[in-house]
Amino acid sequence: MADNSRPTLAIALAFLLAVTGALVFASRATTQARHFRTMDQPIHGWMSIPFVAHTHHVPPSVLFQAVGVQPRQPRDHRSVRRIARELNRPVPEVIAELQKAIDQAKRPPGGPPK
Amino acid sequence: MTEQLLSMVTQYGPPALFAIVGIAAIGVPLPVTLLLIVVGSMVSQGAMDIWLALAMASVGSILGDQAGYAIGRFGGTAAVEKLSRVFGKKAGLEETQAKVRAWGGPGIFLTRWLLSPLGPWINLASGTAGYPWHRFLFWDVLGECTGALVYISLGRIFSDRVLALDSVLGDTTWAIGALMLASILGWQLWKRLVRQP
Repeated sequence: MADNSRPTLAIALAFLLAVTGALVFASRATTQARHFRTMDQPIHGWMSIPFVAHTHHVPPSVLFQAVGVQPRQPRDHRSVRRIARELNRPVPEVIAELQKAIDQAKRPPGGPPK
Repeated sequence: MTEQLLSMVTQYGPPALFAIVGIAAIGVPLPVTLLLIVVGSMVSQGAMDIWLALAMASVGSILGDQAGYAIGRFGGTAAVEKLSRVFGKKAGLEETQAKVRAWGGPGIFLTRWLLSPLGPWINLASGTAGYPWHRFLFWDVLGECTGALVYISLGRIFSDRVLALDSVLGDTTWAIGALMLASILGWQLWKRLVRQP
């Protein structure tokens, strides 16, 4: 009886664990989906400046200007990381500058600073 | 690692996409879902052609899957059979092979895109179990084209929310996986409890 009940108990525990996991992940997915439109969109080193501009709904020219870079034509695919390397500056510093430019571009004219 | 891969795609476009999805399909754990969503966003911004993106993502993944299947088929069978003889598990192996043959198609299809972390394992198992290649190819092409279309389209629709979308999809995939596991375990538990006096 003991030999027979041990695998059943193990399966029952695994079942409970799987159900718990399903509930936890489903709840996380639901919470994230609910805040989908308001979630922060952090800038990463892999993003290109046109990509950052698109994500934050600002013109790319504002961001190129903020970091002091002349955009390549017809389209500048360089990542923020590569631009930082070319400028010989740390990536977090360039990201902070981009973020500041985004905040300024989004601020209503005459509004208080963020 | 993720940063470098995504940088490669934003800078070099379709060839980088092709190479990364191919390597991931062989079994290297790379963030392919995020990659496809980012590609969808790039398509929306006019940085990549939609048809080229779909073709590169599908063909790259299919070639990687075929490589995984070939490894299982031509390299894996001998090793698994040798192990099964050593451990006297011949009947168990045959049972597993029969299950793969019976459930293979939908399993291959779903693990191409919905439960993609399992994909490389299914490729190897399909090859090892001798699942017919033409059927594997059919389900593989169907699944990979579906995956590329779904994730690139989602990235295109929610092009300004790629990271948020990736988080939601990641948790949803884990929730579906855990639910499927719970269903299998629940069924086994039910059978055991019914069998017991």
